[in-house]
Amino acid sequence: MAILYKNFRRNVINAGPLILLYYISISEIDTQFSNLFEILSFNLQIIIIYYWTLKSSSVLGNGHIFLVGIINDVVMGLPLGLSSITYLVVSFVASYVKNVTVNISLFTDWFTFIIAIFLSNLALMTLIYNFSSLKMEYSDIFYNSFFTFLFYPAVWGLFNFYQKIMVISQDD
Amino acid sequence: MSTSRDDFGIAVRSALLQKGARQKFSLFFLIIIASIIFFLDYYKIKPVNFARAFISDALYRASNIATAPFLIFSDLKTNTINLFVTFKENKVLKLEIEELKKKEFQVEFLKNQNKNLRKILEGDSKILGESTLAKVLIDKKSPYLKSIIINRGSKAGISKGMPVLDGNYLVGRIVEVNYLSSRVLLLNDLNSRIPITFGENSTQAILTGKGGDDPKLEYLPEAYVPEIDISVYTSGKDGVLIPGLPVGKTVLKEENVFVKLFSDPNQLSFVTVQLSEINEENF
Repeated sequence: MAILYKNFRRNVINAGPLILLYYISISEIDTQFSNLFEILSFNLQIIIIYYWTLKSSSVLGNGHIFLVGIINDVVMGLPLGLSSITYLVVSFVASYVKNVTVNISLFTDWFTFIIAIFLSNLALMTLIYNFSSLKMEYSDIFYNSFFTFLFYPAVWGLFNFYQKIMVISQDD
Repeated sequence: MSTSRDDFGIAVRSALLQKGARQKFSLFFLIIIASIIFFLDYYKIKPVNFARAFISDALYRASNIATAPFLIFSDLKTNTINLFVTFKENKVLKLEIEELKKKEFQVEFLKNQNKNLRKILEGDSKILGESTLAKVLIDKKSPYLKSIIINRGSKAGISKGMPVLDGNYLVGRIVEVNYLSSRVLLLNDLNSRIPITFGENSTQAILTGKGGDDPKLEYLPEAYVPEIDISVYTSGKDGVLIPGLPVGKTVLKEENVFVKLFSDPNQLSFVTVQLSEINEENF
């Protein structure tokens, strides 16, 4: 019974980032704070995907990232598959960085995150402007990307702390 | 150069195609699937539309349920803010109520003041001669001196010895005159001596203040039989006070005759000074 409980607790803790990712996508919680600051918005999903793919790709899994993208598209009313593609692009950059980097630090993560944001936004804008009737402001995308990049270290710190809990749970 | 390009290719290929220990799909495969879905959706193919509608229905409900705790939290936040706002409002309203109460008291005070003034004005019509209305400035209670300060002085034609009335009733006389104020010695002061007359026989006596509320009748005739509830008036024998001003009614206390004043000397707010011609020598 105790072992079962321990395993359950460990699984729940390990699935924390995935649950968070699903929850953010499915719920109406937004990361747009225009009431505080007109241009303040950031994409937490991208940060979660990038961080956890880089640190421990088994926590999220590509299939879940794809599914989260589909859910996000449905909830947000975007063309189906669009978010999946952008998230998978982020995941791809993270996997690539993981493959080519030996020592991972906040700064390497942070600066390679620019590439991930750039490529995901490139895919997003290319698909939207060529294959969709949706109108998006360049400036909005830019501000969103900028703040996503800016908040990355803070979220990185939080996830690093969380990862320690995960390690502890794996150890016991 | 070619080595680094090879490295880059290997890394990219690895990132796209490599499946981790617990990964079921490669990134490349999923990107292809996502792209196919995107283009199917873009070309509005019926099965995709149907699937989208179905998924949307399910997800919207799921989203609604998933957001419920967040909405509760949001409501809690709103309610908390409202609570604080209410507290603040309550504080402001309490202050407003205090202000209104103060105003209410002021209104009541002014109402009573107005009533008193009307009474005085009505009384004035009964008193012969010229008079001036004065407000009591100071009515400091003292165990020794029973006097008040009024806001009328020599500027208003007041001079020493003039009778001071509350309505129709005598309350004292002027003992000190300044330019803008005067002191009134009340009838119950130890130093007050007023010649009075009372009863069917027009009995003469001196009303002497004793420091208490009721002044005493002194210098009564030897054969006088004390009677109570007889009205007492000024006699004017001193040549200072006007004769016939009502003062009070007789009361008996331990075989002594005292006068219960018609006007309570402790409750004066406005008085009338009778501007009679006073012979200062007599005073």
